[in-house]
Amino acid sequence: MAAPGTVMDSNHQSSYKLSKTEKKFLRKQIKARHTLLRHEGIETVSCATRSLVVANGGLGNNVSRNQLLPMLEKCGLVDALLMPPNKPYAFVRYKTAEEAKKAYVTLNGKEIVDDLGQKIILYLNFVEKAQWKELGLQALPPGLMVVEEIISSEDEKILLESVNWTEDVDSRNVQKSLKHRRVKHFGYEFHYENNSVDKDKPLPGGLPDIWDSILEKWLKEGFIKHKPDQLTVNQYEPGHGIPAHIDTHSAFEEEIVSLSLGSEIVMDFKHPDGVTVPVMLPRRSLLVMTGESRYLWTHGITPRKFDTVQASKGHRSGIITSDVGDLTLSKRRIRTSFTFRKVRRTPCNCSYPLVCDSQMKETLPSFPESAREALQLEREYVHRVYEEIAEHFSSTRHTPWPRVVDFLKALPSGSLVADVGCGNGKYLGINKELYMVGCDRSQALVGICRERRLEALVGDALAVPLRGGSWDACISVAVTHHLATAERRVAALQELVRLLRPGGMALIYVWAMEQEYKKKKSKYLRENRPRQGEDEATHSHAAEPGRLAEQVPDAGDQDASRPGSAAPDGRAAGGGARKVTDAKLPVHTNRTSFRSQDILVPWHRKGNPGRDEPVRATGSRGPDPVFRRYYHVFCAGELEEACRTLSHVRLLQSYYDQGNWCVVLQKV
Amino acid sequence: MKLLTHNLLSSHVRGVGPRGFPLRLQATEVRINPVEFNPDFVARMIPKVEWAALLEAADTVPKGPIEGYEHDEKFLRQMHHVLLEVDVLEGTLQCPESGRLFPISRGIPNMLLSDEETET
Repeated sequence: MAAPGTVMDSNHQSSYKLSKTEKKFLRKQIKARHTLLRHEGIETVSCATRSLVVANGGLGNNVSRNQLLPMLEKCGLVDALLMPPNKPYAFVRYKTAEEAKKAYVTLNGKEIVDDLGQKIILYLNFVEKAQWKELGLQALPPGLMVVEEIISSEDEKILLESVNWTEDVDSRNVQKSLKHRRVKHFGYEFHYENNSVDKDKPLPGGLPDIWDSILEKWLKEGFIKHKPDQLTVNQYEPGHGIPAHIDTHSAFEEEIVSLSLGSEIVMDFKHPDGVTVPVMLPRRSLLVMTGESRYLWTHGITPRKFDTVQASKGHRSGIITSDVGDLTLSKRRIRTSFTFRKVRRTPCNCSYPLVCDSQMKETLPSFPESAREALQLEREYVHRVYEEIAEHFSSTRHTPWPRVVDFLKALPSGSLVADVGCGNGKYLGINKELYMVGCDRSQALVGICRERRLEALVGDALAVPLRGGSWDACISVAVTHHLATAERRVAALQELVRLLRPGGMALIYVWAMEQEYKKKKSKYLRENRPRQGEDEATHSHAAEPGRLAEQVPDAGDQDASRPGSAAPDGRAAGGGARKVTDAKLPVHTNRTSFRSQDILVPWHRKGNPGRDEPVRATGSRGPDPVFRRYYHVFCAGELEEACRTLSHVRLLQSYYDQGNWCVVLQKV
Repeated sequence: MKLLTHNLLSSHVRGVGPRGFPLRLQATEVRINPVEFNPDFVARMIPKVEWAALLEAADTVPKGPIEGYEHDEKFLRQMHHVLLEVDVLEGTLQCPESGRLFPISRGIPNMLLSDEETET
């Protein structure tokens, strides 16, 4: 019997909440402090001084001077505001320590919106003076070497002319024209869909003869240790780039060298902790990548027409420092890179297992063959993951989808609505005229609903703990695709129908295999920050700039994805009759098309800088944790077909919405 | 957990079927949460309430919806308070058929079952 026991007033409740938030905030502030010291050489002090470092308030994370300065000026007389380019922090110096103190009190922990419309939190700390580590003192990524003037100007001309870009397309040395740059392969063809080579199908002709003597010379002089057997020639026009990536471990041996002719370029190397090192590759220089720089750091070229370079260093190689007085712009010219690699014949056994496709293969699950295996798979690769990533996941799930909102808003006032798989409660508060109850398997996510004062409970979509025949409507958004067998998916749909009263309606959204529909790419494929290396032009204007598409993991760096595995369903694009037994689930590469229906999709917890995470916090030196979530993406018609097997139900609507297949059912 | 939500909860322990309702509520910590009174909304909720279950869960509840309740502000305010403002923070829910206990913690009922308890 319910006898109101201890009645707690809301004050007590809110003070309990504050201390938890306070603790969290303090942790973040400390993390910010550590990161600044460790990566930027910025030493913070605990006593008040005239100067402050504003973490997350930098040009490097899209905070402009126009925005930051007025905020700082409100707290006192600003002597100087230094905003180093490409850095996620700024320095402010006030006339007096008193004023700096005021700024600290007022602005520390303040949430602002950056130039891309993203919410970020500023963390302030006192510093002795505005100074950051000269990147010149910082080392190049370990294993990286740049050999300057390795080719003479005369030879450069000859080598550039030797590349025949207009060769017949049918010819084996296939020239593919990618959107961004022209590419030619020799020795073995590199496949961009799965980032690997076909080791059993060498291209006839091998490497062009013209390189024989040059490679011999490099071997003799110790610039390279092994003779390569694969060559990729890339031609970059100004404005072209290549997204950040790691060359697939299992495809190539350790040593990868790249010759730059025609133009210098700045190449960005990024460590999984988030540290980015821009490296100048002068014209006619050879870039040698081994060890960490080859296996762990990603490398990429930002698509732009000018690079920021050191004026004083001229065209010499090295790291571009952020010495604000010494930077200048260098106009790019057509650069042709010749990347030499040796195809690997054995699995990779490097010391970086988390980014190694060979080593990760062993730990990945197989396609489930029974209900039991399905349950295990879901436990490990859905439930556990959501519990771990709940908070981060929730922070990327803030924008309700318009058509789901429409569905909810069209319901009559006083409707009872169940949200099965409610996640962070995104839809629970949309229409105040409804009584909505959320159900989710993740305790952590339901906790977030509760924090937002939304009604939710912990329960399983296959056994929804709500009374049947009573609900005016149900929604199931991005849930069913986490169930590992067709039977379980149908069972989940049947549960929704059970809940409905006669005439009640259910709205179901599942991720679609087809991410490009009617010639239009979904937001998932299109949306990407410019710094990922995509053409700025592909940025969708309809989408909030910079916001990640809903329903998708963070746009982490391109994973070392595995070569496509067997597609047991046989319905996957390109899936023929392949061996099904013991088929490992393929790991999907984010922001690319699905090649198989049953997949593991990576989620990077240390997502993008500029969010409310403090400046790239680091704990261990290892790469950021990758979580993999199991999905069964639906083919066209598959959801409809599943619904047709349900009893007492009528299909009202069926449509495609931003990369999802959707249906509206009505209970008869 | 609001009492209206409790009124909609049902146990799914294997074999109980519709007999998994209503769950017997034992509240050890309750809070009153002021919620804006919307008479139309409350009036629409009334027909959806399983009254017997509500009587079991709450103390001061009328025996049933009274004649002309849609316009009876006193009645509606009372129901508003019971259904929407009483918030159970800690307690247990018991399946009437199997006796299985489900916890309510920090306002959240946890209705997850173990494998053996799950209906196939």
